[in-house]
Amino acid sequence: MNDWIAIGALAVVGLAIPLGMMAVSALLRPSVPEQGKRTVYESGEVPTGTARIRFNIQYYMVALLFLVFDIETVLLFPWVTIYRPALEQGVPLLDVLWPMLTFVGILAVGLVWAWRNGAVQWTSSPRATARKTERETES
Amino acid sequence: MATQLPEWAALSPVLALALTGLALLLVDTINPNSRSNTSSAVVAVLGSLASLGAATWFLLAGTGQEGTGGAITLFADAIVVDGLALFFTVVFAVVTALVVVAAHDYLADVDSPGEFYSMVLFAATGMSLMASANSLAVAFVALEMASLPSYALVTFLKKNKGSVEAGLKYFLVGAVSSAVFVFGISLVYAATGSLLLSDVAAGLTSGDAPVGVAGIGVLMVLGGFAYKTASVPFHFWAPEAYEGAPAPVSAFLSSASKAAGFALAFRVFTEGFALGTELVAGVDWALAFGIVAVLTMTLGNFAAAVQENVKRMLAYSSIGHAGYALIGLAAISVGGTHNGDVMGAAMAHLLVYGFMNTGAFLFIALAETWGVGKTFEDYNGLATKAPMASLAMTVFMFSLAGLPPLGGFFSKYFLFMGAIFNGFWWLAAVGALNSVLSLYYYSRVVKALWLEDPAGDLDAVDSRPTALYVAIIFAAVGTVLVLPGFGPVIESAQAAANALFA
Repeated sequence: MNDWIAIGALAVVGLAIPLGMMAVSALLRPSVPEQGKRTVYESGEVPTGTARIRFNIQYYMVALLFLVFDIETVLLFPWVTIYRPALEQGVPLLDVLWPMLTFVGILAVGLVWAWRNGAVQWTSSPRATARKTERETES
Repeated sequence: MATQLPEWAALSPVLALALTGLALLLVDTINPNSRSNTSSAVVAVLGSLASLGAATWFLLAGTGQEGTGGAITLFADAIVVDGLALFFTVVFAVVTALVVVAAHDYLADVDSPGEFYSMVLFAATGMSLMASANSLAVAFVALEMASLPSYALVTFLKKNKGSVEAGLKYFLVGAVSSAVFVFGISLVYAATGSLLLSDVAAGLTSGDAPVGVAGIGVLMVLGGFAYKTASVPFHFWAPEAYEGAPAPVSAFLSSASKAAGFALAFRVFTEGFALGTELVAGVDWALAFGIVAVLTMTLGNFAAAVQENVKRMLAYSSIGHAGYALIGLAAISVGGTHNGDVMGAAMAHLLVYGFMNTGAFLFIALAETWGVGKTFEDYNGLATKAPMASLAMTVFMFSLAGLPPLGGFFSKYFLFMGAIFNGFWWLAAVGALNSVLSLYYYSRVVKALWLEDPAGDLDAVDSRPTALYVAIIFAAVGTVLVLPGFGPVIESAQAAANALFA
């Protein structure tokens, strides 16, 4: 028997259980339309304002730096998988280590440069602070 | 030779550029608040000169060429160092040195010049890697490595609207073209099962490759190169980017970045999609390049002829020159006897172009620091105030037009002759016609400089930015010195190109 039949059966059961539960409860439950059920948060909290707010441009820098190191981990995975087998087959430790050290070293130079030049420093904007206090005193 | 350098030392021109870029970042890290314009520029120039020296030495010593055991391949054949790679590294290193020297004065009142120089050097590293890429994966990574700093360099004047707009356009077109390019690579990989150029060629000629997939892949890769070299379907970013960018960056992009695109295109198409004895995957890419070449040079030259802004005129002229260099790929035929000669002539043209076009854009940079304006009329009578710089600009203009006593004439002559010998007289004819047309708009600049009377007040012209002058004069000397030195240049270029067809 093909392995995929088992996987297909699992998928069918996985879909059938939630759909069946929803169908059964739809048949059994009484229908009570009510305003409270239509709110965004059913906890009863009424949302104020719009979702389109400005947020600080500096999140962007943090996101960029994060991305660099996110990709770094991905690129280190292949190195990690060959590390032990290579050592066991008698490749000198230095030959195995230097590609990774060079790679991380280059990234570190970049990170330290960004750090020293204030990319991760949270500067405050006087105008934004003033506006915020203005809004808070109004409400 | 008594001692043999280790194989990785063949990459030392590339390593010199990369290490200089990192060193500049480190200095900026240790001391972020001091404005070290001069010392950064000096370090950057020394780094690019070291790279130039190493590449020239290797080229003369025959590293990676037939005489000394053929091309040197490194990292499981992913990178190859041969005549072509070294020749183009020379071009990149020369342009980088010129641009860095000129930028020293141009950036005199910029906050953080260190990052400018390091980005120029990183871009140059990417370009020289492009010239030595032997695998499509390395080709893509190197292309991105050259492109990403270029985007940032175009927007380097953060508070200048034109600069930011140009950078955004350049980035968007670049992102689309990179996507096209990488998709093409994936199709070629799907068809042949390898990224290494030699294996790709073997896979394509074996007859097992699905023709449709491989053919579309080859065409999409061609599109990616058209972007990098600013050729017709993907050319429209060039006038905007070159006009809005700081002038030294325009010089860098239009000379070095374009040459890098050609370096990669030459290798990928002659090694990977080689026209052996029959067509690759049913795509006659030489014909496709022929069409692109004719369209590119005609459009570039006609558009340049109607410009009023000198920088924009140079941008379109740079598109036109991409058309000439494309002849190096277009005039290749199955079993043609002069394939290597015409491609070598295109390489020599790109070297000469590296001097004359960089010089011309640096003259624009000089005019920008004087603040005399951008149009032809604004340049009226500049020769009365600055005869040396105007003389250099005259040399660049006539050399770009291809007038006989200058470097641009010889490279064009060899290029067109090679095309004729290989049976592509129509390409040579279109090229020659376009050169005649180009003489019109190049001589407009010369006329404005020397013959017209000054329109306005030229007092600002009295300032003499030394480094910019040095770079311009050096580029002019390079353009002229190619005359006696053209024999060795064309010989090494054609030897390098012939090695690809061997």
